[in-house]
This record gives sequence, structure tokens and C-alpha cells, in this order.
Amino acid sequence: MESAMHAVSTPTSLLGLVVFLPLFGFIINGLTGRKLKNNKVVDLFALGTVGASFLISCVLFVKLIGMEEGVRSLHQSLWTWMTPGAAVVNGGVTHATIEWAYKFDPLSGAMALLVTGAGFLIHLFSAGYMGEERNDGRYYRFMAYMNLFVFSMLNLVLGANILMMFLGWEGVGLCSYLLIGFYFDKDFAAAAAKKAFVFNRVGDMGFMVGFFLLFMVAGSLDYDTLMGSFHGISALPVITLFGHTAAPAFWFNIIGVCLFLGACGKSAQIPLYVWLPDAMAGPTPVSALIHAATMVTSGLYMITRFNFIFVQAPLAMETVLVIGSLTAIFAASMGLAQYDIKKVLAYSTVSQLGYMFMGMGAGAFTAGMFHVFTHAFFKATLFLGSGAVIVACHHEQDMRNMGGLRKLMPITFASMLAATLAIAGIPPFSGFFSKDEILWRVFEQWYQGGTHAGSSLYLICWILGMLGAFMTAFYMMRLMVMTFFGEYRGAGNDPHHLAVASDPHGHDDHHEDHGHEDHHNGPKEVAWTMWLPVAILGVLAVVGGFLNLPLSLGGGEHFSKWLEPLLYREPAAAVHASNVEYGLMIFSGLVWAPFAMFLAWRFYGADAVWSTPKAFVTRFPRVFAWVHNKYFVDEGYQAGIIDPVVKGSVGLWKFDAGVIDGLVNLTAWLLRQGSGGFKRLQSGRVQNYAFLMFLGFLAIALWKYLA
Amino acid sequence: MASPNAVLLISFLLFSIGIAGVLIRRNALVILMCIELMLNAANLNFVSMARHSGTVGGHAIALLVMGYAAAEVAVGLALVVAIYRRRDTIQVDDMNLLKG
Amino acid sequence: MESILASLGQHLFVIFGLMACAAAAVMIFSKSAIHSVLAFLTAMLCVAACYLCQQAEFLGVAQLLVYAGGIVVLFLFVVMLVELSKFREKGLFQAQAKVALPLVVAFVGVFSWFFRQALFGAPSKEALTLPPEISGGLDVAANNAQAVSRGLFSGWLLPFEILSVILLVALVGAIVLAKSERA
Repeated sequence: MESAMHAVSTPTSLLGLVVFLPLFGFIINGLTGRKLKNNKVVDLFALGTVGASFLISCVLFVKLIGMEEGVRSLHQSLWTWMTPGAAVVNGGVTHATIEWAYKFDPLSGAMALLVTGAGFLIHLFSAGYMGEERNDGRYYRFMAYMNLFVFSMLNLVLGANILMMFLGWEGVGLCSYLLIGFYFDKDFAAAAAKKAFVFNRVGDMGFMVGFFLLFMVAGSLDYDTLMGSFHGISALPVITLFGHTAAPAFWFNIIGVCLFLGACGKSAQIPLYVWLPDAMAGPTPVSALIHAATMVTSGLYMITRFNFIFVQAPLAMETVLVIGSLTAIFAASMGLAQYDIKKVLAYSTVSQLGYMFMGMGAGAFTAGMFHVFTHAFFKATLFLGSGAVIVACHHEQDMRNMGGLRKLMPITFASMLAATLAIAGIPPFSGFFSKDEILWRVFEQWYQGGTHAGSSLYLICWILGMLGAFMTAFYMMRLMVMTFFGEYRGAGNDPHHLAVASDPHGHDDHHEDHGHEDHHNGPKEVAWTMWLPVAILGVLAVVGGFLNLPLSLGGGEHFSKWLEPLLYREPAAAVHASNVEYGLMIFSGLVWAPFAMFLAWRFYGADAVWSTPKAFVTRFPRVFAWVHNKYFVDEGYQAGIIDPVVKGSVGLWKFDAGVIDGLVNLTAWLLRQGSGGFKRLQSGRVQNYAFLMFLGFLAIALWKYLA
Repeated sequence: MASPNAVLLISFLLFSIGIAGVLIRRNALVILMCIELMLNAANLNFVSMARHSGTVGGHAIALLVMGYAAAEVAVGLALVVAIYRRRDTIQVDDMNLLKG
Repeated sequence: MESILASLGQHLFVIFGLMACAAAAVMIFSKSAIHSVLAFLTAMLCVAACYLCQQAEFLGVAQLLVYAGGIVVLFLFVVMLVELSKFREKGLFQAQAKVALPLVVAFVGVFSWFFRQALFGAPSKEALTLPPEISGGLDVAANNAQAVSRGLFSGWLLPFEILSVILLVALVGAIVLAKSERA
């Protein structure tokens, strides 16, 4: 295996600014926001710092493009964070120190651009979306948390060693908690925040074990050092740790599986995905930024960063592949039966993340990372657009109460339509080039150029992926049709009785005294601060695919070539496309997905009373109940894990209150009884005291003789 | 003339009778009288030792102690009278306000 | 006849001492308070006689004056003031008497045993008469009052003066304590 990995990096002094500017925004807004009560100042710092970060990232990126391919890396070490001293690792004793350092190379640079760029657009959107909070005095808190999130995410992607990534990892988990639970006075929001944090922590345990083992094996946590030394480590015959001797692949498998467990927690894969749908309790910009574009992709970034481990660990790769495809189809099926617009998008996110992991598991790291970027574009568009729709419909989130918004909100409609076509995988939108690339790579692992030499696991996963793609196209079109087509069903205008009595101050509601007077106007297009970011992201969803046009279609595969020096893998063997590839492309892009979208149009658009879905629900009520209730996974966790733990805790509490407190109380009781006895000496009578004095005199007088 | 042994013995007996009286009787006045008895026993001892050594120190001390005893009796009896006036009793068993 | 008187005269101190002990025993065991006071008076008189037997005349007379003449009278007055006949129901002896009396008897026995040499043994070899060089020119036995007064006003002046202060304080205190509560 050859690679262009190296340990050379060019120092620069701008990197620290990229990361620390949002932190300054957080500190300034956090400390002064409440007192100043000036929303314009808050906006200036919040948007200004993230925007400045984006501009500096662009400057550094341009610089990176100008460098030679083999040495494309900028770094800056700010200070030495930890000096552990001597550590006994695989090769002997290491004196590695851990620096607070940043590294801007093709992968982390692209991610930094995404984080700051999408972050800036979403900050701009929030300035319009969080309208009530501006008057409430809570706005500064939101912007401060968002800035803290951007800071943590930049630490994660730009960190030069695993501990920096872990710092950012934990930081984004914390910010996710803070932002999901932004309306902390609502019970379900607080519970959802806690759930997100706890599931993230379960994953973090795996991540920690993984990188502890990696440190034991490699003796360093720094990326440059790891990439440079991995060749040597994988060439060793055996590695002995903790008294167990095995081939390096064994240890890499364990490391890979543990790191993937961390990714499962952060990127919402089975079995740790349940926090993501509940996280929709937070404000919509939070869902867009954290749970679509950035935080949930940190698991994928981590796997791509450690591709040199995964490639050597076949068991870990298979685990990633299987879990990814299962999640993809499982979550897509749950998206079919949801009525809350944000929940549909949440399950869609889980499903698309499954696709990305599927790609990584099949060895297609660049395809998976490209899907990260295109997904960020179209999912952020969808979330922000749904946020605009929710605001326009006066905080209505149930799709059955929407409809006909196409004419009322044209710009939002156009952006969301573009994003829907992208996510469905219709060419030439971006999703086609990323998702289909993943599916093709999985297929190719089985097909192997016609010899069918690959394991049939890949075939099964490919079938699951194709089924998931069908469902994705179906439910996204369903969302579009229910929301934008037909007639507006809110405000009592419901001839076919499709609307449900929903609480109009639903999940996304904040307080009770916002303008009731405009409830009786219909929804209309939102302010420019809201439709402009959606439109920008929509355009990116359309054209972004051309960054990685595959060779078979005559493109340059720029993105893949950009990332390639970081990948520890064989160069692509297939240089010319086969007919199978073209055939699959045409099938999935022009037949499979459009057919699903046509079905959705038939059921929900052309038919004003939605007779077919209703007939299905009446025919198979149990099936519908299972899918609508998310297969009762949450209830399963509650009964299987949480309740026994709670019972155990109650038992321990009883032990503590009974036995331990009982011992303490027993001591006190004994003392009281003892002093009760001594109390009787205090009779208050002089003659008793005289008697005692006499006894004392006797004792002293006879002391010498008694001894 | 008395041998020092006899004096010691007599004064010891008087002293122990005094102690017994203090510890036994309920009447405050009898207790006070027994305290005086103890003081007298000590005086006897002093005088005997003074005689035995030929100095006047013992006599002087005994005289002074007599004076102190008189003062003490005066104050003690005044106390008894005051207590009697307040509580109508001088049984020491009834005086247990300091009871804890 | 003279020999009985002579031997009686030799043991006069012991006789008066035992009489004092007997009177004391009567004092602590008698039911009536007046009887106790009279027994106390008897004990004081016997102690005064003991002093005289020790050739401490000054002290003996002082004892008569102070104790028998002053203190006993005080006690009598207070006993008459405090009408005790009403309060006989509770009993004569305290609750702890059952424990205290045997303890005191044991104490007497134990101490007698420990100090048996001093109490019952042979007397020391020093003379019972006074050596002339330490009597300061005055014979304590023969000129007791002068010797005592000379000692009191030269070597023991400070305690004497303090005694006068104490007597004054006791006087004031007794008046304050025994004053009635009106106004």
C-alpha cells in the first residue's frame, strides 16, 4: 500500500484566530448580553465573529490550494497542553507531549469551511427566526451558545491531535445539550437535552477506550506522527498489550469498533440514534446546524481521519457497513409515518448518516465525505426552510395542518424543492453524485468488475440501500406535497377534514404573548434574513454535485482527488467505467427515485382526500402503529435498561438511608443513652456533690497505696 | 499531757464523724454544724503539732481558722435563713434547681 | 485514790476527746435539731477542754468565746427561726446515707490501717517539753498568751489583718443575705 502521507506541515499564525474568534463572541455575548440588552450588539459579535472565521478559512484554503499536493498542511501550535512524562506503550517508553495545536489540511480545511460557512448562514437565519426571543431578553444566550458550538466544532475538525478532537467532541455534546434544552422551562425540552447528552456519553465511552488503545499501540496522539508511523506499526508481526499477544489487525479491529461506537453516539446510528428525533425540541436553527450539517458529521470526520486504522481492520469496516445500512433503511421506514415536519427531517438525517457510514464501511471514504457536504447543503436547506414554514404558519408543525404554501411562500418553496430533488438523488442535483457514488461503491465491492468475487454482505447492504433510497424519495415528496401543494388547511379552512386539532403553540413555541393579532392573516413569505440563507444553501444543493463529478461521466473528481493524499488505500483500480455502472446510474437516478416521487404525488397530491394512505392505515392498523411509534425502541430502552437501573438505584438508596444512615443514627442514639446516664449525676443537690468530692478525695489519697 | 498519737486519733475520729454527718443528714443546719466540727478537728491537730515543735505557728493558724470559721458560719446561716424565707424548707433534698 | 486521779489526770485529753466524739455522734444521729445543737455545744466544750490539756490556754478560751459563745448561739437562734417540726416527713437521713455511711466507716478503717504507725505506734523521740532555744525567750507552754500574741503580731500579722477584712465582708454579706425583701 502506498500513500502520500507525511509528517510535514507548514506553520501559520492565522489558524488560532479561526478557532478563537467564535470563542470571543461567546465570552463577550455571554458576559455582557444580559446587561446590555442590545440585540444589535449581540448580532454584531455573533455574526461578525463567525463571518470573520469563514473569511480567514477561505484565505487559508486558497493558500492550501496553492501548495504542492504532497505537503498540503498548515499547522499552528499554541501551547503545550499536557506533559504526561514517560508512558509505557507498545514500542517502549514514550515521552510524547500533547499540544494545543491546529492543523489545516485538505480534509479539515474543507470541514472548517463547511462549519464556518453553514454556521454563518444559520446564524443569519436565527437573527430572523428567533424574533420573539429578541424581545424576550433570551436572544443573547442563544447566540452565545451557537458561538460556543462553532468554537467546539472547529476544535474538533481543526485539532491536530486526538485529544483536541476529543475536546471539541465533548464541547459539541455540551452545546447540543445547552441548545436543545434552550427552552429549559419546558419539560420535554429538558428531557430531550438530557437524553441527547446521555446517549452521547455512552458513545464517548467507546471513543475514549478506542483512543486510549491507539495511544498504547502507537505511542502518540498527534495526527502527523500517527500517519507517519502507521506503516511501521502495521508491518509488525505481533503486538503485545496487557499480556495478550495478537496480530496488529486484531488490535486495529478493537480500536476501530470502539471508535465507531463513539461515532454511533455522535452521529446517531443504531443503537444510539434515539436522541436525534427528540432533539427536535430545540429551535429549528439548532436542528439545522447541529443535527444536520455539523455535529452529526463529526463521527464521519473521525472515521475519515483514522482511515489508516480502519483500512487495516476488516472486522471494524464490516461493522460500520452493516450498522450503516441497517440504520439507513430502518430510519427511512420510520420517516414514512411521521406527521411532524421536523421529525420527518430528523429521521431522514439518521437515514442519510447511515448512508455515509455505509460508504465508509465499503472503503469509499471520499464518497462518504462528499455525501457529508452535499447532505449538509440540502439538509440545512430543508431544516431552515421548514423553520420558515413553521414561523409563517404561526408555530404549526403538523403537516396535516399545512398545505398550499407554494403560492404563499414561493422562494422557500423553490429552495426546498431543489433540496428535495437533491436528497432523492435525481441528476444533476448534488445528492445524485454523492449518494449514488456510495451505492455504486458498495455494489462494486460485491461485483468486483464482473467476477462476483466480493462477499455477498455487500450485495445485501446494497439492496437495503436501494430500498432506503426509494423510501427517502417517497417520504420527501410526501413532505413537499403535504406542505406546499393543495389548499392551506390551517385557520379552519379544511374541506376534507385532513387537519388535526393540534396545539397551535406546539413544540417550537416559546412564550404566550407574541402577536396574536396576525393569527388571522394567512402565512406569507418570511423576512430576508430567513429566505436568503435558505436560497443560498438551495443553490449549493443544486450545483454542489459538480465538485465531484465521477470519471465515468467525464468529470474531474476534484473532491476525491483533493482528499486522496490523506487516505491510506490503494489507488482506484477501475479507470474506465463499465456498462453496469452506467446502467445502475440511469436506473436509480431516472427510474427508481422518480417512481417513488410519482407514487407520493399520486397518493397525497393528486388525491385531495389521501384515500390510499388512509385505506392502508385502516387495513393494517398494527403495522402503522408500529412504524408511527418508531417501533417502540424508546419504550424498549426504558423498560430494558432504564427501569432496572432505576430499580437498582432505589435499592441502593434504601441501603444508604437504612444501613448507613442507620449506623450514624445508632451512634447518636448510643451517645444520647450514655449521656442520659451521666445526666443523673447532675442532681442539683449539694450533698450529692459533696459525696462525689469525698469519693474523689479518697481516690487521690489512696492512689499511692493502691498502685 | 497528750501524746501526738492520741491527738491524731481523736482529731481523725472527729473529722470522720463530721464527714459522715455532712453526707448523711438532710437538715442544712446539721450539715453546717458538722462542717464546724471538721474545722475543729483540724485545729486540734494544728495545736498538737505546734506544741510538739515548740513554735507558735500552729496556735496562730488555729486562731485564724477559728476566725474564718466564725465568718463562714455567719454567712452560711444567713444563706439558710434566706433560703428558708424563699422556699419554706431547709431540707437539702429539696434544693435541686441546678438539676440537669 | 491519788493514783486514780493521777492516772485520770494523765489521760485527760483522751477522755475529753472521746467525750467530744460521743457528742458529735449524738449530734449527727439525733432526731431533733435542738438536740443536735446542744450536742454540738457539748462537743465544743470538750474540744476546749482538749486545748487546755495541751497547755494552749489562749486558744482554749478563744474556743469557748467564739464557738460556744457565738456560733452555738447563732445556730440556736436560726434553729428557732426555722420551725422544723413540720418537715419531718421526709426522714432524717438522705437517700445516699445508705451508701455514704458504710463508705465513711470503711474510710476510717482503711486510713487507720495505712497510718497505723502514726496513730498507734510509739511516739517520736522528741521531747514533750519545749527546748528553750526555740521558744524565742518565751515559754509557749508557760506563757502561752504572750507567746501567741507575740507571734500573731510579728510573724502572722498579714493573715490577722486579712481576717479582719474577712470578718467585715462576712458581716456585710450576712446582713445583705438575711435582709427581708421588702422595698
